[in-house]
Amino acid sequence: MKELLDTLLQDARVWQAGHQARPPEPEESTGYEALDYCLRGVGWPRSALTECLLDNAGIGELQLLLPLIRRQLAADRMVFWINPPYTPYAPALERENLDLSRLVVVQTEKSADTLWTLENCLRSSVTGLVMAWPGPLKIRHIRRLQLAAEAGGGLCILFRHTRAGEESSPAALRLQLSPAPDRQLNVRILKRRGGLQGSDCTLSLPGRFPEQAPGSDRVIRGPWPDSNATAQTP
Amino acid sequence: MLWLYIHLPNLLLEHISQDQAGKTPLIVSEPGHGLVYQANRAAHELGVRAGMRLKTAVNLAPELVIARMDSGREQRALAQQARWLYRLADYISLYPPNGLLTEVSSLKRLYGGLPSLWQKLTEELKSRQLTGQMATALTPSAARYLAQINRGQCTDCPEILKGLMQTLPIEQVDLPERTVKRLGKLGLLNLNDALSLPANEIAHRLEPETLQRLQQIQGTRPDPQTPWQLPHHFRQRMDFVSDIEQMAGLLFPLQRALGELESDLQWRQQDTDYLKLTFHHRDHAETHLAIRTAGPEHQAAAFMALARIQLEQQQLAAPVMAMTLTVSRLIARGQPAGTDLFGTESDPDEAWQTLISRLQARLGESAINTMVSHPDHRPEKAWMQRALAKPGKTAPNLDVRLSHLPQRPLWLLRAPQAVHHLPEAWLAGPERISGGWWDGERVQRDYYIAQLNTGQLGWLFRDVSGGWYIHGWFG
Repeated sequence: MKELLDTLLQDARVWQAGHQARPPEPEESTGYEALDYCLRGVGWPRSALTECLLDNAGIGELQLLLPLIRRQLAADRMVFWINPPYTPYAPALERENLDLSRLVVVQTEKSADTLWTLENCLRSSVTGLVMAWPGPLKIRHIRRLQLAAEAGGGLCILFRHTRAGEESSPAALRLQLSPAPDRQLNVRILKRRGGLQGSDCTLSLPGRFPEQAPGSDRVIRGPWPDSNATAQTP
Repeated sequence: MLWLYIHLPNLLLEHISQDQAGKTPLIVSEPGHGLVYQANRAAHELGVRAGMRLKTAVNLAPELVIARMDSGREQRALAQQARWLYRLADYISLYPPNGLLTEVSSLKRLYGGLPSLWQKLTEELKSRQLTGQMATALTPSAARYLAQINRGQCTDCPEILKGLMQTLPIEQVDLPERTVKRLGKLGLLNLNDALSLPANEIAHRLEPETLQRLQQIQGTRPDPQTPWQLPHHFRQRMDFVSDIEQMAGLLFPLQRALGELESDLQWRQQDTDYLKLTFHHRDHAETHLAIRTAGPEHQAAAFMALARIQLEQQQLAAPVMAMTLTVSRLIARGQPAGTDLFGTESDPDEAWQTLISRLQARLGESAINTMVSHPDHRPEKAWMQRALAKPGKTAPNLDVRLSHLPQRPLWLLRAPQAVHHLPEAWLAGPERISGGWWDGERVQRDYYIAQLNTGQLGWLFRDVSGGWYIHGWFG
């Protein structure tokens, strides 16, 4: 029996599931050591969906992605912002030394258009990263997006409300973002491929510590009504 | 000189019925006379013949579809056919309403003899579902008459051609009716009879014009032709037998027209980035649809994908009886197409163009923008939307922050929002921004960075009225 098996195994036509060489998915480091450690070196998954769940904007969700955006731009790929809730502010992006001509903002009116746009952007080879604020999504839509992401080589990050965390999702990585003390960002891993869920880490993001000119560590609250009045009537 | 004439007896009929299966009996009627002008095979089987009265035809075939002929239509159809012939032959003349003449003695070497050229033309006619009667002759007129009575032969032997020419019946020659009758009474039934008479006798007994015409057919008198030139634009009109009410019904004829466009552009070695579709309605003004691509393009598949996106979104104003595809902007081609052997896009520029064209076609051009900063102190004016332009190579991006610039939030609110509960954690400020006195949109604010109780880091300001507003988030 064993001989028979051995000869069979020698046969090139027999394909062994155990020897299946899975091509290692290319890594996309997050740029934050603590998060990279939590994600066990997988980083942002390429050709897959990532969901970031958060309650309110302004907790550092874009700061978290800046190293990734910067890397995509350096590789001459496009970064799409689909239906951002506010205006991505050009002076701030310029201060971060990003090439604005590769940051494309797409605004759609109907949700069918949003999904269509997402899918098309994901399938294109020029896309490095797609950031989308799609609003409520059905699971079949997410599955479809997942397929589109697999077809292209780009990354896709969906920003959704924390409530969406209660539903299951086919996304490869799900992170819950919440504010932590001292203006840090708490990242809780709800789901990741091939790993334990539930680990979390706290990141301190560089852009969230206001840089005051030396010697002015005290915040002065003004304008004062009377001084203002004098300024107005010189 | 050897001439070849293509007579298209059913040109108009075949022009309008190209997308039909051919099962329904169809005729083209002459408007003034109430006569059948052309009838298709199905109508023919039911006994309908060209030249028959319309009433008779309708009685023979009650389900007959009647298309009306109008004067310009057949000429336009002929000019469309001249396009493909022009790709095969350099010297062509149009003989409205339904004939094309080309000079072939200079082409024999290119095609390796007359038979292979004949074969090529037959194939081209067949691929366009056209009935064509071809004839060669030593003079343009002789070729025309032979083709019209379908007596052409694929030969370039002068003796045979001369023999064929001599057997032409006199009534086929476009002479005044009176002259034809007179020649018939004289017992001159074919061209040979007429030509065997002494020339001065013909001129004396009939008119000098008759002699001139006969000599032109014979080739002893010059018969100048007007060569046709390819226009510097592409225009193809599709006439439909019955009106089309659904956008989906337009896709198939459009596909065919785009195929023609592709081969035309390929042949010209040019590209285009703007296509115009005009829909002709029966009782409604024409409607237009513009198809733009993000970059020069020539492939029918790319145009079709964009057209499909736009057509799916549009509603037809009224049933369409004809559609015209016009391309007037032709751009010289820079580089060979970016698709590789396997049809995949290897060129990032090509992929970029494809994606952006698709997005713009569906969402409209204003939906896709990039941003630039604008030198203005007022935060809401310190940035601008800019229409998408093709990005160049990025300079090697250093991982540095330009910290000499003032700190700004990554999110800017579309309009400042009033703050009701002032935050406790004030982090930086004030930064006074005052400006705009020059254009009437005065701004006088003190900006602070503060953290709200929800954990959000905001960019707040207080204006001269003393109210607190939030203007951005440090996302």
